[in-house]
Amino acid sequence: MQKPGQKEHLYKLLVIGDLGVGKTSIIKRYVHQNFSPHYRATIGVDFALKVLSWDAETVVRLQLWDIAGQERFGNMTRVYYREAMGAFIVFDVTRPATFEAVTKWKEDLDSKLVLPNGKPVPTVLLANKCDQGIDVLMNNGIKMDQFCQENGFVGWFETSAKENININEASRCLVKHIIASESDPIQSIEPDIIKPHLNSSKIVSCSACFKS
Amino acid sequence: SLIKTGSKPPTTPVKLKKVSTFQEFESNTSDAWDLGDDDDELLAIAAENLNTEVVMETAHKVIQNHSKLQEQHKLQEEQLQEEKQVESSELSSVAYGDNRLVKSVSEGHTSSSSDNASENSSMQRSQSLPQTSTPPLVSGIADHSTSITSALTEREASRLDKFKQLLAGPNTNLEELRKLSWSGIPKQVRPIAWKLLSIHIDIPRMSPEVLRLQPKVTEIFERILFIWAIRHPASGYVQGINDLVTPFFVVFICEYMEDDEVENFDVSSLPEEVLQNIEADSYWCMSKLLDGIQDNYTFAQPGIQKKVKMLEELVRRIDEQVHRHLDEHEVKYLQFAFRWMNNLLMREVPLRCTIRLWDTYQSEPEGFSHFHLYVCAAFLVRWRKEILEEKDFQELLIFLQNLPTMHWGNEEISVLLAEAYRLKFAFADAPNHYKK
Repeated sequence: MQKPGQKEHLYKLLVIGDLGVGKTSIIKRYVHQNFSPHYRATIGVDFALKVLSWDAETVVRLQLWDIAGQERFGNMTRVYYREAMGAFIVFDVTRPATFEAVTKWKEDLDSKLVLPNGKPVPTVLLANKCDQGIDVLMNNGIKMDQFCQENGFVGWFETSAKENININEASRCLVKHIIASESDPIQSIEPDIIKPHLNSSKIVSCSACFKS
Repeated sequence: SLIKTGSKPPTTPVKLKKVSTFQEFESNTSDAWDLGDDDDELLAIAAENLNTEVVMETAHKVIQNHSKLQEQHKLQEEQLQEEKQVESSELSSVAYGDNRLVKSVSEGHTSSSSDNASENSSMQRSQSLPQTSTPPLVSGIADHSTSITSALTEREASRLDKFKQLLAGPNTNLEELRKLSWSGIPKQVRPIAWKLLSIHIDIPRMSPEVLRLQPKVTEIFERILFIWAIRHPASGYVQGINDLVTPFFVVFICEYMEDDEVENFDVSSLPEEVLQNIEADSYWCMSKLLDGIQDNYTFAQPGIQKKVKMLEELVRRIDEQVHRHLDEHEVKYLQFAFRWMNNLLMREVPLRCTIRLWDTYQSEPEGFSHFHLYVCAAFLVRWRKEILEEKDFQELLIFLQNLPTMHWGNEEISVLLAEAYRLKFAFADAPNHYKK
């Protein structure tokens, strides 16, 4: 896959969030391009690999670590977080409690993992199951932007593993931030604000993705 | 009774201590089951960890009690000629299903075997006696892995006969049943044998997914798991426990299924009473199983962390090359073996293999808690060639999390068990073998 002269990046990405929010489904959609409503609960950690042709000169290999959502496993998250370069924190838009857990996951992550430059790892928030129609965030885009700023997320996306909405976009956004943070380890990256178009959310841009 | 003489006679002080320790454990876990009545004494003895021997022994006692009850019922039955009396006992239906099952097995035996066959089987039985005093399992396994198909049928028939002989009496010698079951239980007698073994298949085409998607089944599983969780507040519900109900449920439901029905069997077609019995049997069998591995599912899952560590040490000793290879590629045992312990390999092999595995786990002392470790070690080393060929962390982990066992059947499991038994035997005299 790697052509001569191409650079290759390898990044470990975490996918975390409460149980049943759709972490495994997002990864299955992203890596295997399929969806099943009947995945079994993940036990411990599941591993998947996605290779991206980033641009003409760059291949990006993503190690996706799908970490079981049950809080009980919390004691082992430190082991799983090791050496990760970025993270998705996922919640289920139809279950407000899973959104409330987002800050808990973020705190857990930031307390156990920092980049070599001492900064928290770039993290993108995913509002999954946006195809379900029951959207607790409805018209709360501004609040979500504020939430991301306050809690140190580099951006957020409404996603659907079922309908394949915004998953590639979210991933590119995260990778962009990782590359940026790598190429300039001292410079801090401004948090991104994403404004999803709720009625036509197929294409959502991440503002940072046009910055560099 | 037969069972009593079959079990190891422990010296009295040890026995007393063990019982107390178990009761102490019960109160420690704030279980809703009956607690011990002498709290002071319990606290004095207080042990931090549950001794699995205690669990086995207590379970044994439960079975003995049930067996006595069963005997009483038998007497009642003879006196009153009334079968309803039998079913009125909650305990007997819990432990044994009900007497109807036992009876149907024995009836099946007498009606199906000719004089010749029963003569044969009694010969078989006497031949098997000396075998049973030595570890009977190795020979059984060796038969399995080397047998030729034509011989297998005969052997299977004779095995079935042995089971039927054993199960025919009013009291079943559980030690004997364990020895027989170690190398696999014939499908016909598996439901009763499992019920007997755990308080207590060939079902290659049964898909647990198809089963699980039925609302009736979901309902039953939810009740089982909910009741277990509220009665075990120290554990609560841990993901993966739901998997552990499936083999019991499937084995018990298979009793009511024709061979051609397994592919799309509608559980709700069974009478409510039958389903309730299956639910109760599954609940109690699962509870018994979980009793032996409680610390797998308490906070932070210390039992699993400990076992993964033990697995690592064991593999380091039995196959240093594999261990080093994993280590060099920074593959951590926790990354793949957590699930092996949490779900007892159920996610790694097809359901039919899990069921075969559990024949042995239920016959082996501390099968689920201790022997499983050796099975996991044998399982990992089983893939040594493939592991050593992978030179990349990613590929290694993807391989280890998706081992190609889809085609596996009894043969593969028997080989695995034989290897596990060999490992256990080899390390039996080295109690610190998984410590550095």
